[in-house]
Parts: sequence; structure tokens; C-alpha cells
Amino acid sequence: MRLFASGWTSVQMAFERERRIRWLAIISLPVLIAAAVGINAWRNIGDYRHGIEIDVAQGASELDYGGAAWRLEQARLIGDGRDTDVQLPGEMRLIIVRLAATAIDDIGEGWGECSVSLTDEAGRRWLPLDVVLSDDLSRDLDPVAEPLDGCGISSLDPPARHQSTVIEEKFVVPATAASELLVHLSFGALRPAAIAFPLGLS
Amino acid sequence: MKTRFVTIAGVIVAALTLSFLQTTTPPYAMITGPLKTSGQQGEAVTSTTFSVQVGDVARARTIGYNRFGEAVALESSGVWVVVSAELRGFKETMPVHGATIVGASGRRYRQSDRASGAPDVLSTKVLQPGLPTTGIFIFEMPEDETGTMTLVVSEQYEPQLQDEISLTLEPQDEAVRERLDIGPDGI
Repeated sequence: MRLFASGWTSVQMAFERERRIRWLAIISLPVLIAAAVGINAWRNIGDYRHGIEIDVAQGASELDYGGAAWRLEQARLIGDGRDTDVQLPGEMRLIIVRLAATAIDDIGEGWGECSVSLTDEAGRRWLPLDVVLSDDLSRDLDPVAEPLDGCGISSLDPPARHQSTVIEEKFVVPATAASELLVHLSFGALRPAAIAFPLGLS
Repeated sequence: MKTRFVTIAGVIVAALTLSFLQTTTPPYAMITGPLKTSGQQGEAVTSTTFSVQVGDVARARTIGYNRFGEAVALESSGVWVVVSAELRGFKETMPVHGATIVGASGRRYRQSDRASGAPDVLSTKVLQPGLPTTGIFIFEMPEDETGTMTLVVSEQYEPQLQDEISLTLEPQDEAVRERLDIGPDGI
């Protein structure tokens, strides 16, 4: 009789333990699901933030960014016959932007995923022409000079500390937007932080 | 006895609920599908990011154009369908690589790779905000598919959560031309 009672007690204990584990599993399920969704969302938000520019430092002269001091070297508006004789059809204008950078730190791979764009007050965004077309236009405008590299190529070989470089990008924009354009510069690792300079074109 | 009944009823209700949720859940492709806008040939159909206005639609057995100074003539066992259009981008510089014609049977015909070297092809251009871009789309398809056609245009083929514009093309009353020449400014 005592043996039977002892066996019955251990069965009861095992049953209770199993019941506790089952409840623990059920209760932990929503917590684990919520944690998985939260971690995934956090990663997606991080990826999204590295794709946008919302923390934009704007300056008229020089700005520190990505281990270098940046300034707007030159902005040209081509197509209305003032800068060169070139007349582009209708509202189409070509804008050539040169940005100069002096490295104040070891940049390494810090300029990866470089992005240069123009924006206007309405939030419209113009991206640069591709490398082949950009080089062709450079040679058309100045057959003697070697075309300058754009941001993408320059980011592969950034200047050493205290050295300088100049990058050039070309954009096609409507004439009506030219006077209010800002040039934006950002790197993947630093986004959503970016810098911007007003082109000051008339 | 009562507990067992409640348990069985609970399992049945849960199974029915899960079955209902499973059958009514839209597929992933639909949830992440294109943002559709539609209209007719001749009108400017506008989405959030770009607009399309179809001008002329021409059908021909052969298309001809110059490429690198050499005359090119492409024949088809079906017909070539050449659509001229004006596109406008609103927010950001963007390409328009995706153009498909849905034929009379519902089959979908993408732009012809054979004619990708033709001048003024829109899929080789880039839309710049504020600047209208004109050009052509070229398709090769069976003649009997051209009775009813819908042009579907998007930034990329199979867009996900991106704009897609559908334009119903006017019925083609004219006979198929033997030859259509494509110049530097399209048709």
C-alpha cells in the first residue's frame, strides 16, 4: 500500500511538471513571436535609415563629413548659351557639380555607397548621369581635359590624410528648377546623416 | 464528459477559424503587388511617381531603322506593334524598363529584345522630374492578339509596391503595314 502511494505521488509530480512546462511554452510563445517581429523590424528600420537622408547639414562654405572637409568647388549651368554656346532643347539644362574634399582623417572604406543628388524646394530629386554618358559629355565640352571621376569611383580610392580630391557629377534638370537646387552628398555608413550645399545658380 | 465536449468543440472552432484565415489571406504577391492606375489611349494617365500618355500605335510586318550608320530591317512572322508615348517623372530620376502589352487572349508580351537597338526606345531612357520624355515601345506578337490591347508600364517588370499604369489602346482599324520606318525621333 505504501509502495503504491509512493508511485502515485511520483506520477502526480511528473504530471505537474509537464503541465508547468506546457503552460510555460504557451505563455512564452507570444513573447518569442513579439521579440522576433521586434528584432526583424529593428533591422529593417536600420536598413531603411541607411537608405535615406533626413539629417542633412547644410552649409554655404565648408562641411566636415566622412572624414573629410567638403566644399562646393564649382557649379555650372549649361544649355542656355551663357556658360558655353551649347543650347539644349526646351527646358532641358545640364548641371555640372564639382565637390572638393580634403581628408582630415583616415577614410578607409568610409565612402562606400556614395550618393550625390540634386534636390529642389518641392522635394524633387535628380540623380547623376551614368559614367559613360558623363565622360562623353566631358570630352564634348573639353576634348583636352581628362574627365574627373564621380563619387562612386572616387569612393574606391579616397584621398589619404591631408590629401585632397575633386569629384564631378552631371545632372539633367528643368531650367525652372535650376535656381533653387541643393547638391546632397552622403555615404551608406553615415546615412541618414548627409551634407548639402546650395548651388547658387541663377 | 463536459470537459471532453468543451475540448472537442474548442479544437473544431480553432480549426475552422484557422481554415477561414488561411483561405481569406491574400497571397504575398498580391499584398506586395503593384499600385495600379488605369486609363485610355490619348489621355495622360498619372500615378504618384510618373505619368504616361500614349500617342500613336502602328502595326507592321517589317520595321526598319538605322543603327551605327547601317540600315536594319527586322521582319516578323507575326506583327510589330510600335507605341509612341510621352512619359513624365514627378519625384525622382527613374527609368521605365517595364512595358508589356496584354493581348486579346490575355497573354502578355514584353518589349522585343530583337528591336532593342532601335532609336528612341523609351526603355533606354531615364525620366528626369520636370522634363517630359518622348519615345517608343516596340513589341512583337501574333496578329490576332492585336484586336484588343492594353499597355502596362512600370519602372521595372513585376513591380512590388511601385506604380504601374495600364492604358487601354484603341482598336486597330487600319490594315497591318508592310513596313514601318523608325527615325531618330521615333514614328
